[in-house]
Amino acid sequence: MNRENLIYLLKNISDTMTQNEDLLTQADAKFGDGDLGISMKKGFDAIYHIVSVSEEIDLGKIFLQCSAGFNEAAPSTLGTILSICMMGMAKKLNGLTDASLENMADALDAGLEMVSLRTKSSVGDRTIMDSLVPAVKALKNHVSEEKDAALTAAFKAAEKGMENTKFLPAKFGRMVYYGEQVLGHADGGAIAGMLIFKALSHHSD
Amino acid sequence: MKKIMNLPENFVAESLDGIIKAHSARLMSPDKEHRIILSKNPSPHRKVAVVTAGGSGHLPTFLGYVGDGMLDGCAVGNIFASPSAGKMYEMIKAVDRGGGVFCLFGNYSGDSLNFQMACDYAALDNINTIQMTVKDDVASAPAYLSDKRRGIAGLVYAYKIAGAAADDMLSLDEVASITDEALHNIKSIGAALTPCIVPEAGKATFTICDDEIEIGMGIHGEPGIETKNLMPADTLADTLLDNILKEMPLADGDEVSVMVNGLGATPPEELYILYRRIFDRLHHMNVSIYMPHIGEFATSMEMAGCSLTVFKLSEKLKKYLLYPANTPFYTSLNK
Repeated sequence: MNRENLIYLLKNISDTMTQNEDLLTQADAKFGDGDLGISMKKGFDAIYHIVSVSEEIDLGKIFLQCSAGFNEAAPSTLGTILSICMMGMAKKLNGLTDASLENMADALDAGLEMVSLRTKSSVGDRTIMDSLVPAVKALKNHVSEEKDAALTAAFKAAEKGMENTKFLPAKFGRMVYYGEQVLGHADGGAIAGMLIFKALSHHSD
Repeated sequence: MKKIMNLPENFVAESLDGIIKAHSARLMSPDKEHRIILSKNPSPHRKVAVVTAGGSGHLPTFLGYVGDGMLDGCAVGNIFASPSAGKMYEMIKAVDRGGGVFCLFGNYSGDSLNFQMACDYAALDNINTIQMTVKDDVASAPAYLSDKRRGIAGLVYAYKIAGAAADDMLSLDEVASITDEALHNIKSIGAALTPCIVPEAGKATFTICDDEIEIGMGIHGEPGIETKNLMPADTLADTLLDNILKEMPLADGDEVSVMVNGLGATPPEELYILYRRIFDRLHHMNVSIYMPHIGEFATSMEMAGCSLTVFKLSEKLKKYLLYPANTPFYTSLNK
């Protein structure tokens, strides 16, 4: 994956977030402030544009720009978490202009590790980690296969992880105050994580 | 919803514009949206800059404490939302005078995560930073989970001590150390009578019954520890004080400062009725009160209610509490 491929992928994610804005907004409005749809749309749209006009080809530096740009456009907690993830990815990708699937899986892994370290959250806490962590794990397990197959496996894992949040009480954020009322509803962050991999798997290049 | 405003989406921008226009002699903003508020005449003696950040909707918290004797800068977010790490980083760069930047803010996930990133960026520029969170709200989590506690009106005392320590020309580590000592001795608890409305939401996202009071409710409407029938002021004062004393016992001869803070829609008269009882209780225990703070220091839009903060003083903390401070929203002169 080089800069050109990344632009294409970010466009796909941005479009997917736009198409699903209402879904995200409704998931968030039940227990939060309802800004999830708009912030994901704004965040991915912003970094798509940043990378499109940037002349940088070092993927590490590109992800660092994305990290700052995403946070600026979507300074909600989930926006910040994705920003931290991109910063972790940036460190891993530094110096690369063309990353293999394995490089990307390792970078995503490093990004999530940074999120986990900073937010002290992990799978089972009813957050975006519930879809992203299994997705990246699946990606790593299928890294030797063809790219489309690996990304489809990752998407399936993300979807399953997102579904699982319906059975989890919240440990973070304002949702904590709603106790068992959240059960039966999927976590908005986990839905956003699933959508990222949906975009990557269905339109990957 | 009945509010004095134009378009809800311009609520924050227009209130910041008004603040900069009103206080341009003392405040300035390097960005055109005024999301970074800096003191125009920062103390020439300070080695360390003291900054904060947080969402809008709590004035005078947070930006109201930018000025002489308190903060060098504040990054401002939307209503009840953290500002971006980028804005915090720009602020840190703008205020650093070589001695490092002390980042002091309420314990909320968005603010913490963004400050962490901002400080990561600052480290790449060789700017030293220390981050410290205020978690004074005893109702927001039990004592054994005190790291989860939220920061409320106790922030103001923390800004006061950190600012005075910086004015005393202490180093970054020393400013952090004395502020940490202060934070261990600052405990608060709030009580809400009515909810508040975020302009863009247009209606309250939670309810409090007409005849009820929510003890321990947070400044964003986070549920409290118990819902009670409305009670006389003295009973409320006792309830709040007892919750604090349970955790921070006071003894004969102790010295404290006390803040009775209005949440936005409660008149000062009611705050003084509460203070009267707090004073009598502490006086009875032979605890003396320095610089009582009675008024609005940390609000939650148009929420009715109050918070009580008790700050237990040592000689050193008392010295810094009594240092002069003067901002567009705060003065030590009338306390």
